[in-house]
Amino acid sequence: MSDQTQAPPAPPPTHVTLTIDGKTATVPKGTNVLEAAKTVGIDISAFCYHPGLSIAACCRQCLVAVEKNPKLQPSCQQVVGEGMVVHTTDVASTTARKQMLEFTLVNHPIDCPICDKAGECTLQRHYFEHDNADSRIDTPKVEKPKVVDLGPHIVLDAERCILCTRCIRVCDEVAGQHQLEMKQRGDHEELTTAPGQRLDNPYSLNTVDVCPVGALTSKDFRFTMRAWELDATPSICQGCATGCNTEIHHKDGRAWRLVPRHNPEVNGHWMCDEGRFTYADLREQRLAVATVDGLPATWDRAVKTAAAKLAALPKDGGAIAVVLSAQASNEDNFALAKLAAAWNAKLFVAARPERGERADGKLRVADVNPNRAGVAAIAPTAADLTDFEIGVNTGAIRAVVFLGHDLPVSETALRRLREFDCVIALATHERGPVKAAGIALPIAAWAEAHASVTNADGKVQRMHAAFAPPGQAVPGWEAVARLASAVGAKVAWAGARDVWKDMTATVKPWAGAPWGREVRPLSLRFAGSRG
Amino acid sequence: MAQKVVDALKAKFGDAIVATASAYGDEVVTVKRDKLTAIATFLRDDPAMAFDVPVFVTAIDLLDWRPIGARGAPDPAARPAYDPGEHNDGLRFEVCFQLRSLAHRHRLRLKVQLKETDAKLPSLTPLWAGFNWQERETFDMYGIRFDGHPDLRRIYLYDEFVGYPLRKDYPKDKRQPLVRRPDLVGDH
Amino acid sequence: MADLKTLVLGRKEVAELDDEHELPHELMTVNMGPSHPAMHGTVRIVLTVDGERIVKGDVQPGYLHRCFEKEAEHATYTQIFPYTDRLNYVSPMINNCGYAMAVEKLLGITAQIPRRAEFIRVIVSEVSRITDHLTCVGASAMELGAFTPFLYFLKAREWLYTLLEEVSGARLTHSYVRVGGVGKDLPAGWLAKLEVRLTELEAVMVEVEQMLNLNKIFRDRMAGVGAISRADALAWGQTGPIGRAAGIDYDVRKDHPYSVYGEFEFDVPLGTTGDCLDRYLVRIEEIKQSMRILRQAAAAIPDGPIMIDDGRVALPPKAAAYNTIEAMIRHFKHVVDGIKVPAGEAYTFVEGGNGELGFFIVGDGTGRPYKCYVRSPSFVHLSTAEKIFHNHLIADIVPIFGMINMIGGECDK
Repeated sequence: MSDQTQAPPAPPPTHVTLTIDGKTATVPKGTNVLEAAKTVGIDISAFCYHPGLSIAACCRQCLVAVEKNPKLQPSCQQVVGEGMVVHTTDVASTTARKQMLEFTLVNHPIDCPICDKAGECTLQRHYFEHDNADSRIDTPKVEKPKVVDLGPHIVLDAERCILCTRCIRVCDEVAGQHQLEMKQRGDHEELTTAPGQRLDNPYSLNTVDVCPVGALTSKDFRFTMRAWELDATPSICQGCATGCNTEIHHKDGRAWRLVPRHNPEVNGHWMCDEGRFTYADLREQRLAVATVDGLPATWDRAVKTAAAKLAALPKDGGAIAVVLSAQASNEDNFALAKLAAAWNAKLFVAARPERGERADGKLRVADVNPNRAGVAAIAPTAADLTDFEIGVNTGAIRAVVFLGHDLPVSETALRRLREFDCVIALATHERGPVKAAGIALPIAAWAEAHASVTNADGKVQRMHAAFAPPGQAVPGWEAVARLASAVGAKVAWAGARDVWKDMTATVKPWAGAPWGREVRPLSLRFAGSRG
Repeated sequence: MAQKVVDALKAKFGDAIVATASAYGDEVVTVKRDKLTAIATFLRDDPAMAFDVPVFVTAIDLLDWRPIGARGAPDPAARPAYDPGEHNDGLRFEVCFQLRSLAHRHRLRLKVQLKETDAKLPSLTPLWAGFNWQERETFDMYGIRFDGHPDLRRIYLYDEFVGYPLRKDYPKDKRQPLVRRPDLVGDH
Repeated sequence: MADLKTLVLGRKEVAELDDEHELPHELMTVNMGPSHPAMHGTVRIVLTVDGERIVKGDVQPGYLHRCFEKEAEHATYTQIFPYTDRLNYVSPMINNCGYAMAVEKLLGITAQIPRRAEFIRVIVSEVSRITDHLTCVGASAMELGAFTPFLYFLKAREWLYTLLEEVSGARLTHSYVRVGGVGKDLPAGWLAKLEVRLTELEAVMVEVEQMLNLNKIFRDRMAGVGAISRADALAWGQTGPIGRAAGIDYDVRKDHPYSVYGEFEFDVPLGTTGDCLDRYLVRIEEIKQSMRILRQAAAAIPDGPIMIDDGRVALPPKAAAYNTIEAMIRHFKHVVDGIKVPAGEAYTFVEGGNGELGFFIVGDGTGRPYKCYVRSPSFVHLSTAEKIFHNHLIADIVPIFGMINMIGGECDK
């Protein structure tokens, strides 16, 4: 997915106007020439430059000619000036960039067929688009270590490294830990860990993303899947309340990795390692069929059984507890809260306990629930599970409908729950309390449905369905709709969009928010944006 | 190649011409749906136009249309990406009628833009019999209805088929078993 | 042609054969196909017959639908060549060429295709056209009871297939043409072999024409059967041998010369009555005209490269791809990302074995087509079958269908 477009021009004093290849660009003061060129559709090749990092200007790949300047200038470092005239297609700068590419390739191993970066490699892209000439040298390539274990998640292939130092700056500037360095000089220069250090920090895998070649590879991803065969679907990380924007990379109904998606308002270019591994849970212990008393059932029988059990309860509704989940999406919570209102049931919210050690003032926060703010907006009056536990223990609650598989209550309460006749779970995974539920209805996980979550700042962010949910699972709101029609309540949702409309009409802070486009998976090899 | 045809259309139907373009030797004229039949009749019957040969009918589903230029950035020169609109009322389909004149040796592509929620347009089969199966094919593959078509049925696929396979939101690897439903046959 | 035709007795309209004193009768529905010995290609015809006379013939294609267009939208431009082979699988080279030309048009490199590649494309296309016509005529004659011409023509066709196999490595599914040129050069001495085969083919043509042209049974089954007027043929979009049999003077090679066709002399045979006999005669004559083109092309073919010299379109040599990182990357980008074709839409049409074969490609700047529509002549022609069948006898379906030359792969896509 392409980065967000730049903000529209603000008042003139803060902007400067320059000419690049005859095109006039007006950009904010302080912008570099490389970014200014992008705004007028000119692509300047670069390796060491990354918009989220400091400028090193060490790869010399982005040299351009600036009038009245005797030498070629690195466009990443050259700040725009009023009336500046830049040339990127003149002979001098074109030759310089082509020769830099040729120079970079002199010692690059012929690894594409076995390289994990192939297909999303910046070096491949720049060579193909900006050089595309044959090699003029046939001396042996310099040999360097091929498999260097840098840390718990990352392996280095020093031969592939083109010495751009992006990874060093990621560690220094994003993680705030100096763990990588360059050693030696010339064609013996090599990336290595700093003395006494390993590449071990909560943001270490960002080095793999920024690596323009396949020098740094993720142990989790390497040799598992070819990058170009994957499809990408935009999503939101479910690891904590920050709500980092991500892309799910998946193939044939299976997620293979999560990568950050640029959003300057939330996560910038980055995300933490822990969040990246949340995709693995999409395949673990999934609830794929409805169950009644622990045995597989059809949807029809499951909802009918549920309806019969609910109908047997007193009509005042006080005996039913509906537990929303801070792990589930806005849509699923809203749908269930609406059904609870029809029953006049008591509302509770289940949330995972905070993990104070995570908070680092950067992207990681203590609250590991992706949607606590969303549930609070949907059901402001919902109580937390302390009241729920009291209700269960005292017998005030006689039936429970809960969303998700996290019900952090005491063992006593769980034991009592098992004795309840009517416990209905709408769950993605078959875990803990779901196993104890008399009726379990399978619902789609975060990667499998069009939905939204609300991060700690109250920002509502959309997730998109990457692939179909397993087995008979359906999106949570649809499971609620099926349950509702079985108990005779009326809901008219044909899609997540309808739930959204209903929700934005009801929940004040989100009034009138547009649903926007439902993004479908995009094949990475044809996206033209990787690398 | 057929610039004079485009000029004649502009002179005669001014407001009904939404856009004109030249695409690699073919003149492309996008027209308003309610004027399609009138324009097509003119193209067929006017001696200076004399489009006597129906070449093909097809549709373009713009749902995934995001043209990219260099380095994967949006291509500023191409038609902009499809915008579904808040009410899903973007112009999602483009139906193309390719016509040829044997006498004048000129060609023209007529286009009509349609919304997803209102994907129908007048059939040109009454004017050119050869469009009969082509319109059926477009209906079969894109679910676009041609009003006034004498026999609008699926053509490649069976009547029980659910969905329209060449729409961009129909998954390539989706399978559906054929479950015979005699009540559906010929009923669309 | 017309003078030969006068030798044949005028055929009474079937409708006139109805006898007032016939016994009471009612309409009957007969299912012909999709698998039927007289049908080449799987197609179903639901016939409503009044005795032996066809009142309505609902032709239902689609039994060979392999989602060409959907598959093409998910494959790189180069990966689509094998799919085009399987459109008209009797003359795949022409499909290859037409598709390659469409992509080249979008890339804007049509003028830069090496001349030798253009000549090779013309040569393999014309050989393919001959195989197409040989198959059509041979099979149709067989279905009318003349088994010998079928054997003679298939023998000749096999000679040509062997020649194409020597060029491409595959007897039928060649995948030989590339965007920007052709896959490999003609083998040494190939043109001499072609000349030998053309001479032998001429002898076969004489033999078969002697067997068929004045054969009473063959003419009775063909002449006056399945006639269509020029005006109807135009309105139904008929092109190729069928359109020309009805008197439509249109051949893409002449009217919109592509590749190097403008440099050759050849005639476009025209029929007068648009019946099956004319369709047969037009095809026979086209075989001879194709041989004319082949001899001119074989004499005039220049030396030179067979692939465009553009790293963004042409694959690097294998040896370089294995041994230098530059060629490896280029190879890799070609195979994985595909040739990047700029956004735009182009319709390119060539003279296929059966008529105007068109490719309408919409590019969106990526390595795969956003849309790849094929205007298949078989589909257009088969759509006219119902009109042609009307009021004919069931037995007439065989020559009509044979001369429409419906190729399942092309018709059903």
